[in-house]
Amino acid sequence: MTSTTINGRPLVLPDDPDALLVDVIRDGGLTGTKLVCGSGICGACTVLLDGTPVVSCLLPAQAAAGKSLTTIEGIGAAGLHPVQKAFMAHDALQCGFCTPGFVVEAAAFHDGWRATRGAATPSREEIAAALSGHLCRCGAYEGIFRAVAEACSGRFDGNEPIAPRLEARDKVTGLARYTVDIHHDGQLEGVILRSHVAHAKISGLDLAPARAMAGVAAVVPLLDDDNIVRFVGAPIAAVAATDRRTALQAIAAISFKTEPLPAVIGLDAARRDDAPIVFEKKDRKRAGNVSEGAGGAPVSWKGNVRGPSAPFSQKAKQARSWLDEARAQRNPLLVEETFRVSTQQHASLEPHAAVARFDGDQLIVHISTQAIHESMEKIAKRFGLPHDKVRVIADHVGGGFGSKGSVGLETIAAIELARTAKAPVRVAFDREEELSVTGYRPAAELKLSLLPSAEGRLKALSLTAHADTGAAVNSLIAGLARLIYPAEAKELVDFDVLSNLPPGAPFRGPGGPPMSFALEQAVDEAALRMKVDPIALRKLWDPDPNRQRLYDWAAGLDVWKSRKPAAAQTGRYRRGVGVATGYWLYLWQTGSSVELAVKGGRIVASCAVQDIGTGTRSVIANTVAKAFDLEPQDVEVRIGRSNLPRGPGSGGSRVTASVVPPTLLAIDKLKAEIKRTAFRTPAPGSNAPWREMIAASPDIAVSAKRQEDGKPPSGVRPALHEAGIMGRVFGWVLRLMNHMVVGAGVPSSVQVMEVEVDTWLGHVRVLNAYTGLSIGKLAAPMLARSQAAGAVIQGIGYALYETREADPSSGHILSGSMEDYRIPGMADMPKLEVHFDEAGFEHVPGGSVGIGEVATVPTSPAIANAIRDAIGVRLTEIPFRPDRLVAALKGRDAA
Amino acid sequence: MSVAVVTAKPTATPAPEFRAGGTDVSERRRSGVSQGMLIDISATGDKTISWDADGAARIGALATIATIATDARIAAAYPGLAASAQGLATPQVRQVATLGGNLAQRSRCWYFRRADIDCLKKGGSTCPARSGNHLYGVAFDLGPCVAPHPSTMAAALLAYDAIVATDRRSGLSIADLLGDGSISHADHALAAGEMIKSIALPAPLQGERASYKRAISRTHAEWPLVELCARVVIAGGKFHFVRLAAGGVAPVPLRLTAVEVQLSGKMANAASIAEAAKAASSGAKPLPMTAYKLDLLQGLVRDVLEQLAN
Repeated sequence: MTSTTINGRPLVLPDDPDALLVDVIRDGGLTGTKLVCGSGICGACTVLLDGTPVVSCLLPAQAAAGKSLTTIEGIGAAGLHPVQKAFMAHDALQCGFCTPGFVVEAAAFHDGWRATRGAATPSREEIAAALSGHLCRCGAYEGIFRAVAEACSGRFDGNEPIAPRLEARDKVTGLARYTVDIHHDGQLEGVILRSHVAHAKISGLDLAPARAMAGVAAVVPLLDDDNIVRFVGAPIAAVAATDRRTALQAIAAISFKTEPLPAVIGLDAARRDDAPIVFEKKDRKRAGNVSEGAGGAPVSWKGNVRGPSAPFSQKAKQARSWLDEARAQRNPLLVEETFRVSTQQHASLEPHAAVARFDGDQLIVHISTQAIHESMEKIAKRFGLPHDKVRVIADHVGGGFGSKGSVGLETIAAIELARTAKAPVRVAFDREEELSVTGYRPAAELKLSLLPSAEGRLKALSLTAHADTGAAVNSLIAGLARLIYPAEAKELVDFDVLSNLPPGAPFRGPGGPPMSFALEQAVDEAALRMKVDPIALRKLWDPDPNRQRLYDWAAGLDVWKSRKPAAAQTGRYRRGVGVATGYWLYLWQTGSSVELAVKGGRIVASCAVQDIGTGTRSVIANTVAKAFDLEPQDVEVRIGRSNLPRGPGSGGSRVTASVVPPTLLAIDKLKAEIKRTAFRTPAPGSNAPWREMIAASPDIAVSAKRQEDGKPPSGVRPALHEAGIMGRVFGWVLRLMNHMVVGAGVPSSVQVMEVEVDTWLGHVRVLNAYTGLSIGKLAAPMLARSQAAGAVIQGIGYALYETREADPSSGHILSGSMEDYRIPGMADMPKLEVHFDEAGFEHVPGGSVGIGEVATVPTSPAIANAIRDAIGVRLTEIPFRPDRLVAALKGRDAA
Repeated sequence: MSVAVVTAKPTATPAPEFRAGGTDVSERRRSGVSQGMLIDISATGDKTISWDADGAARIGALATIATIATDARIAAAYPGLAASAQGLATPQVRQVATLGGNLAQRSRCWYFRRADIDCLKKGGSTCPARSGNHLYGVAFDLGPCVAPHPSTMAAALLAYDAIVATDRRSGLSIADLLGDGSISHADHALAAGEMIKSIALPAPLQGERASYKRAISRTHAEWPLVELCARVVIAGGKFHFVRLAAGGVAPVPLRLTAVEVQLSGKMANAASIAEAAKAASSGAKPLPMTAYKLDLLQGLVRDVLEQLAN
């Protein structure tokens, strides 16, 4: 028997040579160390072994024998480490799931640096190299650079700073507990048996051998009732056992017959006339949904192709005829191009996970979810339980980006298994599951034609999108081009192309980045041909008042004014500057309610909303604190429980605009109530500072529901009004079916990117990013900046690195590990300038709308336009990998 | 992910596998790609670096990559080796990964790394990457398996004419250790149970310079698309010695002899380097998706040699 010391305490190590250190640490209750990639890429599991950072996911537990381990819980145990303080002060975190690993590594780097370099400040390159074994999906890199640099220079040796993010301290110390960290007494581990083939009929499913195994407490079938699996990874059954290894063995014992059916993989193959059919007519309702909202009107199908869906077309026939005419006349201004975007995985660092427990007839489920309240309702409906018998809990959520908006298989399996086993069950997906079957932004082919008029206005636009949705429907890409750049006629057609791949899902501005990728390059190309400044052309074609102001800002940037033409560059490295525009809908959720109370002399704000790293706690705390002349830390914010007053889901950038207005109403009510009760008691009197009045107040509570917005100024309209009557219908459906309102005013972003292209190695680096955002007043300024930065780095990932790869015949997802699914790292983060234009939403109580989605929409086309500016060649397919760059430079087709 | 059919299940008992730092084998065992007996050598192996009188180094197989990356004498004598060590994996992995383990690691092919897909390296009869998605595959198609050899250190050691000793044999060149690229079932030519013990490097040449670089899509921490370790001796403005070893392009690290020959005696300037770099694809047989690697290889040859010539 061997042992180690962990944070100064002895720990006996298991004899099992396959036991890995990360599991031993976490099973021992130190859950600050996170397991994410399992392959040593992401660094979330980093611990110190005799003071040296190592990845505990690859280290055999026995390797720690006789050595000393320090986990995040041991860093700054006797008072916060300067790095922890710096991370808090600089908001160097969002969801916080990667934070413990970053802090452990950065603390070791800091200590080594200070020992040898004193109070010198490390460069960006030195910090990036030191932290190159860490990945953050939210994109908190900007804050991390600042935090590490300033901690090293000694700026955080003193007192604990006030963090702009309310829960920052829990996240930098590893105390924040996520769903994967929940452990109840007697908790079992659930594992899902999945299909190995892309399309098959399953019969003779025999669960008995698994049920008979020692340590197995429950086995449940998960096959759809038609017994057909339609993608590799489709669920067949689930097992709950005392530990993961036993559960895996039990899964291997389940037997069944597989009758393979012809399968078809991907966009091109599935469109062929002879392609095998994924969903027969009677089975179409089984397909998943890639959009946030419910589907609109019924749409026709032909084979695997669902569409055309063209509700937002405007004089489509006219558009077609003008474009045909321009083609026949070889009009040099006619821009025609086919663009391709690739499949982007959410790659949240906390996997989809749920822990279900029955306490009598009460079901308690911890879920890594973006929608606790809605999940509660859906679970209650599915399992036939009253709402008050289901409680959904999510204190901290390790990223979502759209993939955790509905009740997923992990939750259903955990509940089914817990009910059968009569014991708590955790189901947490492994990385391969996370990177293959939990949804994605579908790849798409976008055929675009754009015709300026002789007078230089936008005359006609045609955009046809075929989305690679896998076993799902409801992609809306082309239709979104109706809501920007008014034209005389537009033909906007969307198709879903279904195949035997896992279903797509909503992802940060669904449809927005692909639409923008095509349209913004076409506008750029039109400007080149018309020999006008691309920003000036956008200013002419796009009357939106918010974006008009952003265009002025962008046009005034030095980097824009001092651009050099591509023709002037012939060397190995070439620089270019590109611009692009994006918008998103301003959404808020009806019925969103906030309770404000005074409890024990302290203000408590409550709402059944969740914080997925976006800063919801801070948005509420800041709003309340400002009204009462308090510090945000003085306000206790209770969220993450479904039994609190109904709150919005974290999707559609709707949280801020849903919770701030009712918070303001509740503030007025609470102020009146405090004054009323204070009036009855002699001290401290109704003119005392709020702090004193609150301290002296008896326990009281008020609540308020999201009110309607005020009347917007003329010319400020909901984005959907651009689409005429169909837009209004869409808006009504959204309000009725999804409780979402599209408000007046359009959240917008204009981005300017400066890139450097290495023409020898096909490498593109974004040197400088400038993002202008119009999202109203900032409810939490530093956190809004973090969101803006994170959105840009995710957009850079989309443009340069990220793509899901599948085997073209078997349908296996090959990019199921974080080494093959490439998200950006520290050194890939450009220098960033964020410009907030806070006007435009004065009619919204509080004046704030959401930022998450709009901020990532224009990033990929801005990079594309910058590359065009640098090398004189337009690349039409992302990601812009080295293979594509070198092929484009040679005028050859890429791989 | 747990799938119904695990085709990789061995029919016979798999050979025992050595574990040093564990950075490769741990992942394979967790995912189920590798099974069977483990022999942990982390505590018993040789971690030392020793030097003989004429300046040649002998590195124990269990010396960590971080040790090689930061050892001042290695950096002075074999800068290409040090730079290779600095360029691979991540800082945390370099701390525990060993030189011997780096040489003996298994393929990173995404078909091989999935437990539920059969392939040549798992005892199967076909290479699914060849007919499937081989974006990261070889551009010099030398054998039935199309995965490039994963060892960055092997390419560097090839450039340095290193000699490997095992517990059974000594005097193995890198080509002896890894084979000619035609081995499909394994990633090296060692016998079952044969263990790498140490690696000896000849003393550096008088006045030699060396460097290493990899072409990747991001800035750090990525398996190379193409990598190159180069050594040169330049005198009187001319190349007197050129040694180039490339990784990421073939089932084994490759010497770029055509470029070496062409540059020998030529002026060490951008023009002659650019001309000679074209010969880097000599003998190449790219797959449908890997022609780009030849462009990157040529770019790397220019990049690294220009840097050394300056």
